[in-house]
Amino acid sequence: MATRLMFENSCEIGVFSKLTNAYCLVAIGGSESFYSAFETDLGGIIPVVKTSIGGTRIIGRLCAGNKNGLLLPHTTTDQELQHLRNSLPDQVVVQRVDEKLSALGNCIACNDHVALTHTDLDRETEELIADVLGVEVFRQTIAGNILVGSYCTFSNRGGLVHPHTSIEDLDELSTLLQVPLVAGTVNRGSEVVAAGLTVNDWVAYCGTDTTATELSVIESVFKLREAQPSAIVDEMRRSLIDTYV
Amino acid sequence: MPRRLTRRRRLLPQPLTFSPFARSVASIQRVSSKAHISKIRRGSPPDCKGIGVSKHNSSLSESSEDEGFEGVVQTDFVFFDPKSDDFHGVKILLQTYLDDKQWDLNGFVDLILAQATVGTLVKIEGDDDDTPFSVISALNLGRYKDHKCIVELKEFLLQICQEKDLINGLRSILGEQAHDVGLLVSQRVVNLPPQLLPPLYGALFDEVSWATEDEPTEELRNSFRFKFYLLVSKIYKLKNANQKRNAHQKKRPNSHNDEEIIYIKPEDEIFHKLSLWSFTFPMRTQQVETQELKNYSLTGFALVVEAEKISTFRQQLESSIDES
Repeated sequence: MATRLMFENSCEIGVFSKLTNAYCLVAIGGSESFYSAFETDLGGIIPVVKTSIGGTRIIGRLCAGNKNGLLLPHTTTDQELQHLRNSLPDQVVVQRVDEKLSALGNCIACNDHVALTHTDLDRETEELIADVLGVEVFRQTIAGNILVGSYCTFSNRGGLVHPHTSIEDLDELSTLLQVPLVAGTVNRGSEVVAAGLTVNDWVAYCGTDTTATELSVIESVFKLREAQPSAIVDEMRRSLIDTYV
Repeated sequence: MPRRLTRRRRLLPQPLTFSPFARSVASIQRVSSKAHISKIRRGSPPDCKGIGVSKHNSSLSESSEDEGFEGVVQTDFVFFDPKSDDFHGVKILLQTYLDDKQWDLNGFVDLILAQATVGTLVKIEGDDDDTPFSVISALNLGRYKDHKCIVELKEFLLQICQEKDLINGLRSILGEQAHDVGLLVSQRVVNLPPQLLPPLYGALFDEVSWATEDEPTEELRNSFRFKFYLLVSKIYKLKNANQKRNAHQKKRPNSHNDEEIIYIKPEDEIFHKLSLWSFTFPMRTQQVETQELKNYSLTGFALVVEAEKISTFRQQLESSIDES
């Protein structure tokens, strides 16, 4: 289910929020309608945590995470780190990373199994990513851009990349990531797809400028149309239970 | 066996910014303020208006491309007609036009880009990104009065105006006299060289007068015969006016008399002097906190200037840019 949202007159939802399968981080200072949009869909299922990182609201671009862990830049203050450790579920490992490229959200794109990173990331950071997030790490570029975290976004079910990605690159990335990929735009033609939308396995949020065509592409590649948390359970039930007495 | 791709090393040292747009802005910042306009060039792209301004420091003979943090970068600015591809760049420039009000900014940007005859975008020559660094346009309030963005803009101004004696004047400017009023939209990146301003405003006002002759229909020609220009902008206003009086008594060594208003754009000062009337309104968007500006707060500012005063404005703009 893809929803259109606005954060304080900006359509860049992926900048002000971070959505994974186990938690959701949102920036402070937004309007109540922004938070209620997240609360409606995610309310009882995963925790929605209001936070800042290093005193800023661009949390989506500064941190990288999945259901196993969350990586924060060195600019994160101790209070913010503690707040996140307290608010997130125990199985999520929260780790602050000493990396010169501190906008981790722009440098790392990941789902629960694979991560694509900026080509100039430190070796130690790469090992930390593999450790904390429990993923396989690949150094990549997207359509010639080194900021993979900005120009591609993917969940466990599908991914959206920069519109100028060539077919060969798309195929290569798709084999690497083992998910279907599509080259498209968000927010009425914006190429920075990861800044414009935030997605997990069953829900996606994008800016209000997103056209109906873009929205339908997002819903189909991320397989959101039938995806409700109950749908997954229903499917399981059908395969496990043979007859009802 | 998972494939590992080889590292690609960046060969040129780049300034510490991560988008091509930010890199261009960082490189412009290094242009010396004493640079003078050395030549005017006709640009080659078909939709380009053909006015290029190139600037360089006369002591440096070669142009340096992103050479560390010293040195001067030679840039060519080119003026373009607005076209619909420029949507995102112009939207970013106009993001805080009406403070933090949620309004139909998309519609407003579309209006500006649809009006190809009057309006200019400033870009850098040969920039792959094609981002506009400045946008200027004049929109007839009467012609577009039914558009949602103009309706919301009028509502915003009427609501935000706190000066009772001006509210009637404002209401008539936005109401009955709207077809004679041009909304002057001018927004740019903060560090755009001021030498560009006289040609930029010159281009706008020239286009307005050409449009009164060249437009295909009588109605359109009349819509550019502006009698008034409405301007919405931002200034820095001294936070507490009482501070000035205390400064006189104490005579602290660093208390140069703080000016009451700091104009972010130099042409705003000239417009303010020539204006029929003006008012300020408080803004809620966060401003950048710097040492020099700690006593100032970002304030919105709207004024109306008569169209006859424009030639005076152009002369004063030329002279003030020449002497700075």
